This record gives sequence, structure tokens and C-alpha cells, in this order.
Amino acid sequence: MTNLELYKKSFCETFEIQEDALKGLVYQGIPSWDSVGHMNLVATLEEAFDIMMDTDDVIDLSSYEKGIEILKDHYDIGF
Amino acid sequence: MAEKRLLENKTVIVTGSKRGMGRQMVTTFAENGANVIAHARVQDDEHMDFCNTLAEKDHVKIIPVYFDLRNESEIKNGIKTIRAKKMVIDGLVNNAGISYTALLQMTSIDQLREIMDVNFFAPYILSQYISKMMLRNKKGSIVNISSSAALDGNPGLSAYGASKSALLCMTRSLAAELGENNIRVNAICPGVTATDMINDMKDDIFRIQKEASFLKKVATPDDIANTAMMLLSDMSKYITGQVISVDGGITQFSKR
Ligand SMILES: NC(=O)c1ccc[n+]([C@@H]2O[C@H](COP(=O)([O-])OP(=O)(O)OC[C@H]3O[C@@H](n4cnc5c(N)ncnc54)[C@H](OP(=O)(O)O)[C@@H]3O)[C@@H](O)[C@H]2O)c1
Repeated sequence: MTNLELYKKSFCETFEIQEDALKGLVYQGIPSWDSVGHMNLVATLEEAFDIMMDTDDVIDLSSYEKGIEILKDHYDIGF
Repeated sequence: MAEKRLLENKTVIVTGSKRGMGRQMVTTFAENGANVIAHARVQDDEHMDFCNTLAEKDHVKIIPVYFDLRNESEIKNGIKTIRAKKMVIDGLVNNAGISYTALLQMTSIDQLREIMDVNFFAPYILSQYISKMMLRNKKGSIVNISSSAALDGNPGLSAYGASKSALLCMTRSLAAELGENNIRVNAICPGVTATDMINDMKDDIFRIQKEASFLKKVATPDDIANTAMMLLSDMSKYITGQVISVDGGITQFSKR
């Protein structure tokens, strides 16, 4: 599985949504991406990519696209 | 029949395990079947020997980790070391702490910051990162060692008491936030307990504290360790957001 596929899977499984809902998805844009969902997303991403996300990044993870940027820039994950 | 070990197959982190209550916690938890990640400030042979001896005696893993709780980046590196062990973390005891007694005018802001760093910020950061690990397994128990000083308002304890009060607010709030993921958060408020921490306590204050206890004695580290063990174990699986005083009734006495 590529990193992008893993990233998408983390979102889809955490929020119980389909892949076509991912583009442009923002924090609190759907009911399941609330603060509790956010923590679950972070835990899933940490597990999937074997990283420990800094709290500043947890706070900054405000959209599907922003998450890719954070993983690329701060955790050396290639997409 | 052999007694059931209350923490069998659980892995728990204890901060400040070199002395006092923390050391007793590691001993008690290991006796009860837990693997323990035993934190201390700096590595030394004595602590390593302590961990190895217990591990052998109780047939558990005791893994020492070392970092200074005043330093955020050291804490984060320490957590990375813990994560790298790839163990499921069932419990965290934020035990390490420093005491300080001085009147308002005699408390420097640097001193206040150090107290807050060790007694509040460090437990906050650890809870932040370790609860994320617990979230993945949808279970966990966090125990914060506060103090009876958080509940009374004795002179000289504005800094220490405030740091320990902050821990109580954090406890209740995290219990509400993390409950639906089956992570419980509780606090223990020890009264005066026979450890190095009270070495500097004046004799007359010690005597007053002892007399104020309904039980007419001070606590021993195992009184606190046993309560922490109960809160980590499944015996307390419906207890969260609670503040448990282990003080021989002192805080009740002061209300009379
Ligand atoms: N004893 C009491 O009467 C009493 C009453 C109420 C609450 N409490 C609370 O109970 C907890 C345990 O106290 P205790 O009586 O066992 O105290 P203690 O014997 O003084 O032990 C404190 C432990 O915390 C560690 N620690 C302190 N600052 C640290 C730092 N910057 N980085 C890493 N570790 C650090 C110490 O490590 P080092 O060995 O490296 O210094 C030590 O292992 C504390 O939170 C305390 O506030 C104690």
C-alpha cells in the first residue's frame, strides 16, 4: 500500500466515509470529524506511519490536505 | 490457591521511581504482575539493579527510562523511547513531584515555574502523548498523584498547592474527555507520607499532622502504592474522574 493509500484509509476508516469525500475535507466539516474524531484520527495516523505527532501538529491538522503537508514536512513521509 | 495478581499482563509507566512512593509503586505493581516502565531523572547503577532484581523476582519486565521532567524536549524523547518498545500501555502514574514551602513574598517566579513544570506541565505533556497510545487500544488508566495540599489552604503552600490543584482540575477534565474511549483518569491526594519529601518538615508540624489524622499516624508509601494499584486494575473499571484522599482523614478533620 502506498503512503497516500494508507493516509486515505486512515481518514476513511476513522470517519466512516468514502474516498470521494476526502478532497477539501476540513476539521468539523462532517459530524464524525469532531474533537473526539480528531484524536482518533491522530492515533490512527501515528499507528499507520509509526510516528509520534507533536501537539503543535495535532492542532494544525485542520484539513485532509494540511495533513499531507504536515506528514511530508515534519515526518519525512513521502507522498 | 495462589493469590490473583491484580495487574497481570498490564504495562504501566511510573514517573519518579527512584525514591519514595514511586519506588514502592514499582515494587507493588511488579509483585502484582505488571510490566513497569520505571522512569527516573538520571541513569544510575542502583536504579538499574533495583529494576533488574525486581524483574527477576516477579517474572515481569521492568524497563528503566530516564529524563528530566523540567525539560519538554527530554520528556518527548523519553516518550519516543517508550513508544519504540511497542508495548501496549495500560497505565500511567504521574507520581514524580517536588515540594516547596514558602510564603508568598518568599516565592520567586523561577521557583514557581519549576514547581509548575515538574508537578503540572510534565504530567500534562505525558498524559497528552501517552493517552494517544491508549486511544489506539481503547483502554487505559491514568493516575495523578496530587496532594492534600491541593484541598486545604495552609500558609506557605500557595505554589505547591496550586500545582497540585491544577492536577485535580486536569484529572476531572481528562476523565470527561477520554471516558468514551475507555480511558479512566483519577487522582490520589496523599496526606503526609513517610518519604524523603518530608525530611525537612519541622517536628512540630509533623506532630500536628500526625495528631490531625483520625488514625494517629502518617501514611507509608505502600498506602499510596496500593491505592494506585487499585486504580490501575480492573477492580476500579467504573471509577473515573475521582479524587481519592489517602490521608488518614486529615482533610475531613480540617473541615470540623
Ligand atoms: N511525601 C509526602 O508527604 C507527600 C504528600 C502529598 C503528596 N506527595 C506527592 O507524592 C509524589 C511522590 O512524592 P514522594 O514523597 O515519593 O517524594 P520523593 O521521595 O521526594 O520522590 C520524588 C521523586 O520525583 C522525582 N523527581 C523530582 N523532580 C524530578 C524531575 N525534574 N525529573 C524527574 N524526576 C523528578 C525524584 O527523582 P530524583 O530522585 O532524581 O530527585 C523522586 O524520584 C509527589 O508528586 C509528591 O508531591 C507527597
